[in-house]
Amino acid sequence: MLELQRNVIFGQFVETGSFIHRMDARVKIAATSALIVASFLINNFLGFAVVLPLLVAIGVVSRIPFGYVLRGSQIFIAFLVFILAFQVLFYARDVPESSYLWRWGLLSVSTEGLYTAGILALRVILLYYATTMLMLTTSLVELTNGLELIFGPLQRLRVPVNELVLVFVIAIKFVPIFIEEMERLARAQTARGVPFDEGGALTRARRLGRLLIPIFISGFARADTLTIAMNTRSYRGGRYRTKLRQMRASLSDWLALTLVIAWITVAWLV
Amino acid sequence: MQPDVATPILELRGFAYTYLEGTPRASEAVRDVSFRILRGERVGIVGATESGKSTVVDSFAHLLRLGQGQVFYKGEDVAAPGYDRSRLRRKIGIVFQQPDSQIIEDVVGADVAFGPTAAALSAGETRQRVEESLDTLGLPYADYRLRYVHALSGGQRRRVAIAGVLAMHTPVLVLDEPMAGLDPRGRKELLELLIKLQKDRELTLIVCSASLNDASLLCDRFIVLDRGTVVMDGPVREVLRQADRLAELDITLPEPVVGAREMQKLFPDFPTDLLTEDELESELLTRLGTA
Repeated sequence: MLELQRNVIFGQFVETGSFIHRMDARVKIAATSALIVASFLINNFLGFAVVLPLLVAIGVVSRIPFGYVLRGSQIFIAFLVFILAFQVLFYARDVPESSYLWRWGLLSVSTEGLYTAGILALRVILLYYATTMLMLTTSLVELTNGLELIFGPLQRLRVPVNELVLVFVIAIKFVPIFIEEMERLARAQTARGVPFDEGGALTRARRLGRLLIPIFISGFARADTLTIAMNTRSYRGGRYRTKLRQMRASLSDWLALTLVIAWITVAWLV
Repeated sequence: MQPDVATPILELRGFAYTYLEGTPRASEAVRDVSFRILRGERVGIVGATESGKSTVVDSFAHLLRLGQGQVFYKGEDVAAPGYDRSRLRRKIGIVFQQPDSQIIEDVVGADVAFGPTAAALSAGETRQRVEESLDTLGLPYADYRLRYVHALSGGQRRRVAIAGVLAMHTPVLVLDEPMAGLDPRGRKELLELLIKLQKDRELTLIVCSASLNDASLLCDRFIVLDRGTVVMDGPVREVLRQADRLAELDITLPEPVVGAREMQKLFPDFPTDLLTEDELESELLTRLGTA
């Protein structure tokens, strides 16, 4: 049967009570941002090799099973492989004749192409891993609070930080809901004779297309309900909202952030 | 009609199911459920929320990842390799809790025709089945055939969903919380309709609900679930006799039974296996007469 929830972990939060889960959300967001910046700065394999132990450490400390993350990234990995295949095959820069491994018309495989694709793959994986781990270890409430506090100063410049963060968080929150809804729809339609659990990959993908319109309709209905619910509870965004729980970063949080930044600086410089 | 005793039409043997098994978000929905349902039986599967009803319903048509040796249709293991699932799904019609999730097409007629078309029936036969199903549910074919589904009321959409399943002519009809969201008149109409359909078509009828209110009039037998296990299984009256236990399990009792439990304050031995207001009244009158 279709079990999308198993294969897409984007936007999910898994509580394990680890050190990373208990860290201040602002510090986690800062560390994630540092890793994202690193993914752009690092441009050789050695640099990524230096970062790897850090990523493993994050995974181990968070106590989130690696197998779960891997299985939940299947669709992402498939997409990445697809993109990279294009990157390699259509690599069209000045390539010395000697580095071509295979060539057929416009298509080619060259060592330069493979190298660029490899670096690109590592960059995207680092980017994906950092953001996924942030979401897996941070509840949405904390993520919202953290983002609001980080971007809070921009409110002075009349940037509607509160509203922007809210929109961002709702968008993320809707992903798992949609996935669950898709599963439910697929089950109900299977019962009526559209077999979502049979046929090849292409047939299955085409059948998923049938779910798009109902998903959109229910998405609008959900958004509508959410708006009414927020209005009835007198929600109003903006800078005058106060927090029930104040965030406080401890010494160990700062140490962890310093470690991450130091580590990726080393990786960048090697 | 007499149920066929030889082979049960549906059987669960030690059925267990955990959603997202093997992940940190795993949740056990059904722990150990076994029962046999015979052809022509009218069974209510009852239990509070999270008792595992919907998971059990999904297992009937193999809509979950099933292990072998758990679910049997007419004595055959539905999870056996090579078992024809599409055929199974043409035998077991399920009306889900939210009718919207199973309505596939935009227009009423097209949606009801979906099942017969998927089963490769001829155009003429499909049309005849659509007409018959819509008429049966009180949605006259000529009137409703071309209406848009989203423009209908909740009750009408539920009827369309049921019509879509009826058009398949399945020997087994499963309804998950069919009365939810219906007003008293809608409930009464649907109840009468289901009783008549079951009789006319000799259906095996399975109704899931957290409330025994209509189920006690519709079913002959109750299977009571609690946190993924069967805690009671027997004829309706026998189960109703344990009204206190049912109330403890957060199951809504039928109104006559609620009345009977009140009466127990006056008459400690007042029976609770009552199906109708009339039965309650006559029982009460006998008691008052002798007192």
